[in-house]
Order: sequence, then structure tokens, then C-alpha cells
Amino acid sequence: MEGTAVAVCEILKYLIIHWKCETGVSNGALLEGQLVISMEALNSNHQENTLHCVTTIASAGSTYGGLVLKKFIKEIQSILPGFSAKLNWTSEEASSSQDISGVTPFQMIFEVDEKPRTLMTDSLVIKNFLRRIIMVHPKIRFNFSVKVNGILSLEIFGTKNEPTLNLSNGIALVINYQHYVSRPKFGAAQLLCSRIHPVLGHPVMLFIPDDVAGMGSLGELILTPAAALCPCPKVFSNQLNRVSSVSIFLYGPSGLPLILPSQKQPTTTVFEDTSFFIDWKKYHLCLVPNMDLSLDRDLVLPDVSYQVESSEGDQSQNMDSQGQTLLLFLFVDFHSGFPVQRTELWRAHTLLTVHLSAILTESHSVVQDSIQVTVDQALEQYHQDAKDHQKLQASLSVAVNSIMSIVTGSTSSSFRKICFQALQAADTQEFGTKLHKSFYEITQHRFLPHCSCEVNQQLLPEKNAEQSTEDAHENSSPELLTGTSEQVENKRLKRGSLRRGMEETQAFHSARAPSQLEAAARRTEPAGAFPTPSGSRASPGGGLEDSLWLQEVSNLSEWLDPGPEP
Amino acid sequence: MAFAPVGPEASFFEVLDQHRASLLAALRRGGGEPADGGTRLASSSEVLASIESVIQDVLTSLARNKAPVFTIDNRSSWENIKFEDSVGLQMVPHCTRRKIKSDSPKSVKNFALILKILSIIYKLVQSNTHATKRDIYYTDSQLFGNQTVVDNIINDISCMLKVPRMSLHISSTSKGLIAGNLRYIEEDGTKVHCTCGTTAVAVPSNIQGIRNIITDAKFLLIVEKDATFQRLLDDNFCNRMSPCIMVTGKGVPDLNTRLLVKKLWDTFHIPVFTLVDADPHGIEIMCIYKYGSMAMSFEAHNLTVPAIRWLGLLPSDIKRLNIPRDTLIPLTKRDQMKLDSVLKRPYVTCQPFWRKEMEIMADSKMKAEIQALTFLSSDYLSRVYLPNKLKFGGWI
Repeated sequence: MEGTAVAVCEILKYLIIHWKCETGVSNGALLEGQLVISMEALNSNHQENTLHCVTTIASAGSTYGGLVLKKFIKEIQSILPGFSAKLNWTSEEASSSQDISGVTPFQMIFEVDEKPRTLMTDSLVIKNFLRRIIMVHPKIRFNFSVKVNGILSLEIFGTKNEPTLNLSNGIALVINYQHYVSRPKFGAAQLLCSRIHPVLGHPVMLFIPDDVAGMGSLGELILTPAAALCPCPKVFSNQLNRVSSVSIFLYGPSGLPLILPSQKQPTTTVFEDTSFFIDWKKYHLCLVPNMDLSLDRDLVLPDVSYQVESSEGDQSQNMDSQGQTLLLFLFVDFHSGFPVQRTELWRAHTLLTVHLSAILTESHSVVQDSIQVTVDQALEQYHQDAKDHQKLQASLSVAVNSIMSIVTGSTSSSFRKICFQALQAADTQEFGTKLHKSFYEITQHRFLPHCSCEVNQQLLPEKNAEQSTEDAHENSSPELLTGTSEQVENKRLKRGSLRRGMEETQAFHSARAPSQLEAAARRTEPAGAFPTPSGSRASPGGGLEDSLWLQEVSNLSEWLDPGPEP
Repeated sequence: MAFAPVGPEASFFEVLDQHRASLLAALRRGGGEPADGGTRLASSSEVLASIESVIQDVLTSLARNKAPVFTIDNRSSWENIKFEDSVGLQMVPHCTRRKIKSDSPKSVKNFALILKILSIIYKLVQSNTHATKRDIYYTDSQLFGNQTVVDNIINDISCMLKVPRMSLHISSTSKGLIAGNLRYIEEDGTKVHCTCGTTAVAVPSNIQGIRNIITDAKFLLIVEKDATFQRLLDDNFCNRMSPCIMVTGKGVPDLNTRLLVKKLWDTFHIPVFTLVDADPHGIEIMCIYKYGSMAMSFEAHNLTVPAIRWLGLLPSDIKRLNIPRDTLIPLTKRDQMKLDSVLKRPYVTCQPFWRKEMEIMADSKMKAEIQALTFLSSDYLSRVYLPNKLKFGGWI
């Protein structure tokens, strides 16, 4: 039986494909709209330690005008044959009367029984999937809520007004680095560039193996790689640049993630050999697959991750310092000589999901060439910057030694005194140390690695003021940002007060829950009717609510930690 | 007289003597030697103090949290060069300058190398020892990369500190040769007696240090090429035309050869003539002796002899002497470019006869080496051409 996560993701994929094909969105234009996904779980009356989960997917606005409801739900059922849940489709007339927010032209509901642990995992999988979608569909927003026995957690996923890089065929890559790596370990003051600067590779046609049926007559699969160092090297103006990890993101037609975390094998077996597509030796990098990809992160999770192994010669390097991540995006698109049909896109997607390794292996040579050139270009500046840095270090060393030679060799005591006083040094050794430090400090922050973008003093997300910025497109000329970009993704609306009806938390004692507290207690709201996200945080209420909130947190912690069975 | 007369009769040098008299009169009219506006000889303590001052400036910048910068006159720009008839090419008083920054990726290495060479010079001056530019290069050839880098930085330092290179205790390797009526004592006490025989003496490496210079020479002949110089030695030209001095820089002259010519002119005011090929390269070499080079314009006062005259081979001589056409060589594209470049230089405008000769060359599109005269006779150069030129004032 397929889980809720798979079902939701497949439905969303199918919706987006349908949307793209049926609403007449022209090639190059970005899809725009809003979807609401809610999961409401209550303790099952029939099974122990089980939650009955009702999942609702609804649209906000008239995004899906033209959708033939019955036909659509039939198609959904056909693509999820193993999904035994009951799929309901609410008609437009019926939904509108319940709608509080105003407009919900359609809504589909399905119900499953799940273990609490499975529900939590599904929630994380869905969130990751939504993050992956909004990275290439910046004008689509998702409201995702999970209510477990009355405890509600609501998140909004969207990347409005963030800088993007336009790709072909109606998708654009969000280039705000904070989606891909966590904030570097040094202070905000040293962050100088909030963007990644992808290098787009040459598109190549993929070859389909003979034993993979049914694709020959449909069209062509075109792979376009894009690579970028993250964060921008400018962030590391005072740090030693080094690549410490590689993240690979696989996207299929219509900018949809090809695989879910649970589906990685065997789709990504081709990537188990870290050097199958990329020669890392030329960069003196030794990579190993990184299997530790926790779902419970607010970042966009890659499909494949490599970790750089430190060589014996690098023992002196400070391995604790955060290095850079090389992001590699592989976009596979479908082209035919005619306007693409929905079924063709879906078939292409399914083919890639199942046979990606075989297809990439069959196309090894062309894919390798394209990816290698892309990675070379992305790392070229990195290496040039590293060389410039080495050159600077060598030159400063010569300058310092030369000055030391003159000062220490001088027979003029007044000259030596003046020199020591200038740097407030007591003796020759201190003078040398301070001289080197002065040169280093003065030259470092000016001797910046190349970055084509303007300096953007990036504040912590919580401190961002609401500012309107245009969607920016990455190109070779610097984009002038008017200020900090508005980050809408992952805004959590935490409600202040608790609901009394959330007594039965002990049913979740055995559930393995994420370490991060997501739920906030509040009075329940009718299913499917969510307030329009305002982008603002609702602050907790008065003293009583604070204490109730704290109690709820402690109750939830019991839910999160494994405990004795009731 | 210090030397036994073996040359022509005294009447042979009448025109030369008149020429010398006119040069001396011109000098007197000009108020004597031109004021030294460029580099000047500096004592060791002055040089050390200058270098210490540079270091203090660097440290002051660092203490103020500013990146240290060296500001150097832009020697390679014609905008910063002016021409004075009495001096030749020299740098303008308020010339454009370039900055060598310590915080720029492009210039940080240059900044460091300047400090490196300053530290080497500091040690040389302190210990009163000397080194050539080549020696300095070999102190760390990997760091410097190539000799040109060292040469340029040394010139930049000389320009920056406003002291000549010899004051920095960096000696120039001499490649020039002298022959003829000349005697002197070198700094270390060595007595040098340049002969008129078939051997020549190397130009000394420390021109400033030579003393007790004695000569009766009626003229100084600068010969472009070593081959021509040797030929003249073989033909016993120095004795036949005695008293005279011959010098060759073997092509583009080194600093010491230029300094020697300058010193002989400053000391004795003997007429100086050049014997160069009738080609753009030869003309340019002649201009270096006479007017100086752009690169060394900051030291023009120490190096140039504006009184130099062009004796031969003149392009007009080619036609006058009916030199066979098949001995001539067509001007190459590079020759044409160089000729055009020389014609545009500021000093050519005040040398109408030189300009005319260059125009003859440009029109004919042909050049000739001095060796072309051997087609007339093997010793035509030393027995006919040069004596006639000198006797009858065939110089411009």
C-alpha cells in the first residue's frame, strides 16, 4: 500500500502536469497559483496505536479552471492503483458553501489509517517535496498543515520575490543560498552575498535503452545540468575556500522532483559511483556517498549527496570549518514536435522515475561531458579564487619578510623605534606578528573572490523587514537589490492558545517524531478553511496562554520521545 | 701631448676643430651644463634614509588600517616625457603616476617584490657592496620569474627614490668596448690604457668611479655594431685617424656605455659622432645615445649627449655613392613601423636634416648596412668614407 506521502506527491505532480498542459501556460511562463494541503489525524476507533488520517488537497483561487473533476479523479486513481484509500472529490458547488477564505474551486480528500510514526515521516516527506517544487516554481505557494488530535501545525511554502534564474520551459531556479545550506558558522556581518550563481550546462539528449519500452515514439528527453557553489565564495572572504560536499538534485519534466526519499533505490544507483559522471581528481577532491540525509531539516534536501573525504595531506586543515557545497541540478525535460500532452509528460516522468539509472548509463558519454564542463565552469572561479588567495598569501609573506629584514637590520635606533611604535609592538617578534596580521586583515576583506552580484547584507530571516523586491534574474551583470529579500518559505504561524481536546497524546508515545517542535496548540478550525497567509507571525497571547503553551510543549515532548506503551 | 702623433696632419681636423668650437660656444650660450632636474648622486646614508622613509610610510598606512600603496611615476607613458634640445627626453615635472597597491590581486606581487628588492638594496648599501641586476635576479629566480621583472622594479625604485641606480649599489654589466686615445684609472686603482691596436678595452662597470681621465682625442666615434667596430680596429682606424676614441655598445647600449660617452663629453667636450646602419634600428640606437630612452628618461641628465651628430651611413650616401641596389635590403613591416615611430618622436622635429634622411629611407623603402660599403672596396669605410666625412664635415 502506498503511503500518504507518496499519494500526495503523486497527486501534486499530476496536478501540476495537468495545470501546465491544460491551462495553456505558454512555454517560458511560470506557473502561478496556490494549493492547500491539510492532514488531519485522530486516534483510530478501530485499531490501536493508529491514526485515522484525512488528507485534503484543495486549490485556492481559480487556478484550476477547466479541470474536469470526475475525469481527473479517475486518472488519479489509475496512477495510484495500490492506494486503497477512498478518494473523494468535492464538487465546486459543495465546497464553496463551506469555504471561509472565499474561493476553493476544487478539493479532493482521501483517508488512510497510519501509524503515528508513518504520519510524521509522511509529513516530512511532503514538506521536502513541496520545498523541491517551489525551488523551480517560484510562483506556486503551498499551505501545508498537519493536525494531530487537535494540535495544529501550519507552514507556508513559497519563494515570492526571491531572486531566480530563468531556465527553459517554464521553470526558474531560486538562487537564494539559504534554501540549500544552513547558515555558515560565522556571524551575519561577514555574509556578503546571499545568492548562488549557477552555471548552466549544455543540454544533451538522453538515449533510452532498448529494453525500456514505449518511449521511442513519444519524443526526446533532454538533460540540462546546472552547477553552483553554495554559499557564494564571497561569503567566505575571510575563510579558506574548500568544497566539502556535493548535492545533486534531480528534476523531471515540468520541474517536478523525480524521486521521493523513499524511492531512491534503484533510481539513483548510477550515482553510487561518485566519479561516474565527474572527474573529481582534477580538483584534488575525493568523494564518498553521504547516506546521512535527515529529512528533518528546513533545507531543500538533495537526491544524492557526496561528502569530501579529507586526505592525509590535509590533516592540518581545519576540518571543523564549514566548507562549500557544490550544488548540481540535473533537469530532464521532455520535448516532442507537437504540443505535449498530459499523458506523454506523465509517462515520461514515470519512465524517468523508474529507469533513470539505466537511461543515464546509456547516455553516459554525453551526460558526462555536459556535466563535467558545467562543474568545471562552476569550480573554475573557485579555483581561480583559491589561486589568487595563495598568491596573496605568498606575496604578503615576501612583503612582511622584506620589511622585517630592513627594520631588524637597521642600525638606526630611532627608525626601529618609530616602526615598533607604529604597530604598538614591544619587540621584534611581536612586531613581525602584528605586521603580518595587519597586512592580512587589511588585504583580506578587499581581496575578495570574484562575485558578479552586488553585496547584500543578509540579515537573519527573523529580522527581515517586509520589503518588496522584484523577482530578479541571475545573469552576468550584477543585480542591484534594494535590500533584503523577503523570505516567505517556511513561515510558521504559531497560534497562541491551546485546545482542551488534545488529551490523548499518549497514543503517540511510541511515535518517533522529529526533534524540532512543529505543532502549536490552538483551537481547531474547520478542515480546508485556512486563513490566507499574511506573512506575519501571530505572537503568543497573554500569560494564561503562555503557560498553556508551555504545558502543551511539554506534552508534545512526550509525543516526540519514545515512551512506554499505554 | 700624452700620445705620439700617428694620425693625419693637423689640417685634417680643421673642420672638426671648428665644429668643436661651435659646440663649446653653444654650451656657453646655454649657460653651461643643464641643471640636473632628475636623479642625482646620493650618499649611502641618504639612500638608507630614503628606504627607511618608504618603510615608515608602509607601516603608517597599516597602523591606520589602510592598504599600503607605492606611487611611482609612469615611465612607460609618452605623456610623461618631454623633449628638451639641451637634454633630450626627460620626464615632465608633474607626470602621471601609477599606484601599486597591496590589496589588489593584480599588483600585490609587484608590491611585495618592490619591498624585496628594497631590502636587498638596503643590505648592499649598508655593507658597501655592489651587485648587478643579474645577481639580484639570482637571489630568488623563482620568486622574480624573469630578469625583466627585476630590471623594471630596479628602475621603478630608482625613479621612486630619485637616485641613480649606481647610488643603489646596483651595477650595470657592461658589454661595450673602447679603443683609442684614452687613459684612466678605475676606482680600485687599476690603470687602463686604451690602445689603438687591434684589441679593445671593456667599458668599466663603475663609470662614476673612474678618475684621471686623459685624452687628446679630436673626436669620439660611436659605432653601432661590434662587427663594424672590429673591422675598424683591424683596419687600424684609430691610428690612422689618431687622436680619436672609438666606442661600441654592441647594439642597444647598456647604461655604462652611455655613461662613459656622457662622461667623456662632459669632461672634454670632444665632438661625438655615430656610425650606424642606414636602417630604422640604427637610427633608434643613435637616438638613444643622443636623446635617451623613454624607459630611462628619469635619468636623462646623466645619460644623454644632445651634441651627438650623425656621421653615417646616411640614406643619402647610398645614392651619392652609387651603392649597388642589390646590396640594399627592403624595409620590413617592422622596419616601417619603427621608422614611423621614430618620425613621430618629439626630437625629430628639431632635426630637419635627420628627418629628411629618414624620409629618403621611407620613400625608397630600402635600408643598407655599413657593410654595403665593402662592395665599393673592402676598406672603403676606413680609408675613404670615414676620413672624407670627418675631414669635410659630412655629419648632420
